[in-house]
Amino acid sequence: MMQGTLGPDESYPDHFFTWWERTSYDGSHYDDKAVSCIYDYDINFYSIDPSYPYKYIREAKKLLKENGFILSGNGGAVASDEPTHTGRTIEALYSEREV
Amino acid sequence: MGKRATLNISTAGLEKLIAKLDELDGDVKNAVEKALDEAGKEITKDTLSALDKSNLPRQGEYSRGTTKQSVVQNPKVKWEGTTASIAVGFDYNKPGAGGLLITGTPKMRPDKPLNDMYKGKKYASNISKKMSKTVSDAIKARMGE
Repeated sequence: MMQGTLGPDESYPDHFFTWWERTSYDGSHYDDKAVSCIYDYDINFYSIDPSYPYKYIREAKKLLKENGFILSGNGGAVASDEPTHTGRTIEALYSEREV
Repeated sequence: MGKRATLNISTAGLEKLIAKLDELDGDVKNAVEKALDEAGKEITKDTLSALDKSNLPRQGEYSRGTTKQSVVQNPKVKWEGTTASIAVGFDYNKPGAGGLLITGTPKMRPDKPLNDMYKGKKYASNISKKMSKTVSDAIKARMGE
C-alpha cells in the first residue's frame, strides 16, 4: 500500500510493504531534449518480527533489480507508528526512456 | 554528544576540483567553506519553508513548534583532516525532530517537499552542482578568467 494510506484506527497487518513515489525528473539529455525520465521511490517493509524487514527488503531489492530498478545498499531503519513493528526502507530508481 | 542531523554534506566528490584549486595555490579552505556554507543555508531555508506550510501531513500532528526548533540553524563547517562537512536538517538530539515528516509512516504520508529534499536524488544532485560551481568559480578567479 502507499505510505500513509492506513487509517488512523486501522491495525497494522503483521507484515507488510508500503511505497512512496517522489517527484520524477529528467534523466539523460540529447540535443537539448530529455531522453529519459527517472522515477524515484521509497520501498518500506514493516513487521512484528524484527528480522523480517532485513530479509524482505533484500528480497524486494533482488526482485526490483531483476525488473530494471536501480538500488544500492540494503536500506536502513524507518520509524513505525506502532511499537509492535520494526520497519526498514530502501530507495529505488527506475529510468524510463522517453519516446 | 555530537550533532545527529538528518544529513551530513561533505566535500566528497569535489576532490578533483579542490586538487586543481590547490595546484593553483588558491584558497581551498575559503572556497570549500563557502560552498558548504551556501549549501547549508539553502537546505535550512528550504526545510523551514516546508515546515511553514499549512497542509503538513496529519494536520501537523508531527509538526509541532518543537519540530521547527529542532531544525539545525546556522550550521557550521567542520574539518576532519582534509575533509570538510556540515550537518543540516533536523537535530535528532532535540525533541520534536521531524524525521517522521521525511519518511512518513503507514498512517501518515511523508511531507512531499521534505521527502524530495532529504531522500530524493535530484535535490541532492542540484546542491552538489552548486557546490562544484562555487569551487570552479574559485579556480577561474585564480586563473584570472
